[in-house]
Amino acid sequence: MTTIILVKTVEQEPSIRETLGSVVEDGETVHFIRLPSVRCLGPLLQAVNPMISYGVDYTIRSLPTDYDVSELIDFAIESGADRICIGIDDRTVSGKARIDDLTQSILLHDAISGDVVVGDCTIILENLSYDT
Amino acid sequence: MLRFEFQIGTAGISSKFFDIEEEVGSIEIDNALPVAGNTVFLFLTAQFEAEVSKESLSRQLSGMEIVDMARAETKRCTYYLGVITELSNVSVLSMLTSNRAIPHRIVGHYGHLDVVASVQDWNHLKDVAETVEAEHGSLELIGTTQTENIGFPLGGNKIKQSMSGKLSDEQLEVLETAYQMGYFKVPQEVTAEEIASELDISRSTLSERLRRVEHNFCELLFGPRK
Repeated sequence: MTTIILVKTVEQEPSIRETLGSVVEDGETVHFIRLPSVRCLGPLLQAVNPMISYGVDYTIRSLPTDYDVSELIDFAIESGADRICIGIDDRTVSGKARIDDLTQSILLHDAISGDVVVGDCTIILENLSYDT
Repeated sequence: MLRFEFQIGTAGISSKFFDIEEEVGSIEIDNALPVAGNTVFLFLTAQFEAEVSKESLSRQLSGMEIVDMARAETKRCTYYLGVITELSNVSVLSMLTSNRAIPHRIVGHYGHLDVVASVQDWNHLKDVAETVEAEHGSLELIGTTQTENIGFPLGGNKIKQSMSGKLSDEQLEVLETAYQMGYFKVPQEVTAEEIASELDISRSTLSERLRRVEHNFCELLFGPRK
């Protein structure tokens, strides 16, 4: 199984821990994709330690400054991602996980579908299938 | 199921309200019942910035008949209206139901409509969003949560509707704070002094407000005291 974790902020440690601890299983591959607004993942990944603490292989990629959601979807298709995990930065007054522009673009994209699971810190798009 | 909240531009009945002379804070659809033909009976909660009259609203709101209008007991500029209008004036409601999404809240604010609805799954969400976008041009998803059941559909939260306007903002604030802090749990998780301190009010003020809330609840359940 392959999982993409979108990193929108360096303060996303609880979401990454939730994903690695409760969603991803030992031996799986994880691709951390950072948004252009996130300068560096080093300290965050050192704190989480995905390989030693969670037994996963991982790669780090970044989206270009003028990225489009299609680039993310193309990478998901190319890597055969089974899941995309998106950190929840904020909640609405009624407690719903707030959806930003990127999350909306993924959710409403024609080429991707699956199941949506809303965790404590993470929106998990799983059982992904692609219409290519 | 997925419950999601989205915003679209004002349309239909909501835009008609925001076009009148009187300043409108918000307009919420509490319930909708079909009438013969292509019309619908709508029950609305409208918040204005000042007092308004039924005559003035009837004169300005074209395409709808105000059947009833009553002012909320504790909020001077909040009114409950029963109106009959064309179904096309609540297009978002018919779009949701025709796509088998369950509407929970439809509230008009200046410039946008806030809508909360439930769908079966991700594909269902896409279908509903596509329909809404086709009609309204754009849609902004605000939030989502997972839910095991339908919850209260539009018009289904009888207690909330019955209590709406019967409690002042101060009473609601006291009730919500007490509830959230665990005052009504057994055993109590917080003392009255701690709630009073949180709200920066005296213990006696807290007690008075809570008693008024209890009195209003009892009045709703058992009718006026003999």
